[in-house]
Amino acid sequence: MNELIPLMVIVPLMAALLISAFSKFNKATKVFAFVVALCLPVIPIASHYGLHYFGGYAPVMDNVTNVMYHPAITYSFTFLQQIFIAMLGLLTFLVVFIYLTKYKKVSGPYLFLLFLGTAAVTAMLLTDDIFHMFVFFEILALAQVGIVAASSIDYSYEMALKYMVLGSIGSPMMLLGIGFLLALTGSVNVTDIAAAVHNGLVDATSPVFLLSLGLIFFGWLYASGLPPFHTIKSGIYSKAEPHGAALLQSFTVVSMISIVLIMFRIYSSLPIFEVLVVFFSILAMILGVSLALTQTDFRRMIGFLAVGELGFIGLGIGLGTQYAITAGLFQALNEIIITALLFIGFGAIVNATDEVDTRKLGGLLAYHPKVSIMLLIAGLAMAGVPPLSGFQSKLMLVQASLNCGFPEISILAIMVSIATFVVFVKTYYTMFLKPKPNELELEKKEVPRTMIFAMGVLLIIVILLGVFPDIVTAGISNFVGGIL
Amino acid sequence: MLEFVLMIIIILSAILALIQKDLLKAAILTGFSGGALAVLFQVLLAPDVALTQAIVGAAIVPVFIALAVKKTQREDS
Amino acid sequence: MAQTQLAILFTSAALVVIGLYSAIFIDNIIKKIIGISFIEEGANLFIVAIGYKPGGVVPILMPGMDTSWFATNAAYPLPFGLVLTSIVIGASTLAVMLALVMVLYRRYGTLSTSVMLADTSKQEEYDE
Repeated sequence: MNELIPLMVIVPLMAALLISAFSKFNKATKVFAFVVALCLPVIPIASHYGLHYFGGYAPVMDNVTNVMYHPAITYSFTFLQQIFIAMLGLLTFLVVFIYLTKYKKVSGPYLFLLFLGTAAVTAMLLTDDIFHMFVFFEILALAQVGIVAASSIDYSYEMALKYMVLGSIGSPMMLLGIGFLLALTGSVNVTDIAAAVHNGLVDATSPVFLLSLGLIFFGWLYASGLPPFHTIKSGIYSKAEPHGAALLQSFTVVSMISIVLIMFRIYSSLPIFEVLVVFFSILAMILGVSLALTQTDFRRMIGFLAVGELGFIGLGIGLGTQYAITAGLFQALNEIIITALLFIGFGAIVNATDEVDTRKLGGLLAYHPKVSIMLLIAGLAMAGVPPLSGFQSKLMLVQASLNCGFPEISILAIMVSIATFVVFVKTYYTMFLKPKPNELELEKKEVPRTMIFAMGVLLIIVILLGVFPDIVTAGISNFVGGIL
Repeated sequence: MLEFVLMIIIILSAILALIQKDLLKAAILTGFSGGALAVLFQVLLAPDVALTQAIVGAAIVPVFIALAVKKTQREDS
Repeated sequence: MAQTQLAILFTSAALVVIGLYSAIFIDNIIKKIIGISFIEEGANLFIVAIGYKPGGVVPILMPGMDTSWFATNAAYPLPFGLVLTSIVIGASTLAVMLALVMVLYRRYGTLSTSVMLADTSKQEEYDE
């Protein structure tokens, strides 16, 4: 059933185009979008592992030099891709479901952007071709800008334009880096490039190779919102509609891990690569948490916390052992779920109160008990409290950094976790437990039932992964063993 | 010899576009730069790229910029 | 002919530097966007220069050409294919940015980035 592999990208892409073309038929568009969104998590689960060569050009063996060449764009589908694409599909389904039930008249272009973004990150995760990844990186940037600009929040256009200008500086840099790699190896296939580097066909200490690392790394920093791009990244989360933000952060996480895995396969022989990744990750952890502490807008606070959590993923990958990378990827999976849950939950609060300033809120526990309990569990999972999934991945990260001989990093990781806990509990207290301020007027507005449903589904996954982490980590560990 | 002339045209028109006070002139100079780049691609043995660049760089991009200038303001204050 | 290749690399580097300068230091948003298009053009020119072979032929196999002669003399076509995609992406990015600028001009009445994209500090004042 390897024919299903390209369908994971083609289905959302075609759905996006069809929806935007026929968006005037409101009812049909709704049904169609719902059915396609339902298909998205099912396709990767039904598909078998394997490789797909576009055009059917299988790899050829050069008899003279004894090297394999990949002439076609290759999609490789393994357990890692399966679990991430299934999770992304589930999240897209929940977000589209929330969107469809929230508005009577759906906007075709907005659904187009949601599906386009999903297709782009899926392709980035599947592809084994660095230029193919770059193309979808650009499409993803356009989709993200569109999702932000489509929201009705003040200053969303400014934030979208700012993100776009920075992105237009970052992506040509990445293209130049890919150009340098192409000049060195004559190929854009990652497997071929990695083979050329590891067989010594490319001088790994040459300045051109280092320059290509620097340029692609710059593009990666932009895509993943690590410092110096943390402010703009948390800004676009807070300017998007809450369900859009839930999807945007998953796009960020998935594009981050897909680019860093490709970089890891090419540059892992350079010691400076791992130092750079660890340095920027630690910077992101510290800056993310400390900036989150000072925010009064709780959407912005979640945005900064999400950036801080990205640092943990980078930390795992930067340490470079099999256990550490497994921990980092598991943390990425957890972060997608937990942050989406937080964004949807806080979005429900915005929906019900029309207020985003924590200082003006209070006593919401009595009004929205279900949402508050689920948010509390999600926040505890993000901070790493035992039976939940965040705990398992952070414990693995701390153990991995101890095994690598960096006790300082593990102490730092624990301290950042505690700080995350403090930030979350402080915000939670002022919003839900503190007595209600007199000037706050709460009409009896119900939280949409679909939002509660979405949060419930995500919460079940959080608890499931927290109790049985082995169902995911064993498969990811196998995958990591393959690329080391 | 042609390629050196083209390179000088590209760089000069790029710099001139950025120091213009009139944004419409800047748009036209961007088109100059894009068109010269298209001819340079032809010299560099890439006729397919040259065709695309001639359409996009010499026609579409300057027209987009000119339209944006027409809808906003012409002077760079 | 190595002179030509060196000059091409110099041109692409100059385009990237001019573009970066304008994207970072020029205040007018339209000129910033023009500069960004120059960065993209510089990157494209660099990648085309990788495929260029001095004294070679266009990589199209015509009837009657000797295949082995063609294989040694034709330019490398893979980078050309990549640049085609990247030119189109650049144009669409530019179009989206200009559309956002037009919307923002209606709100602010100026093209200056220091007014239009003033930092979020301004927004907090607005909130309070």
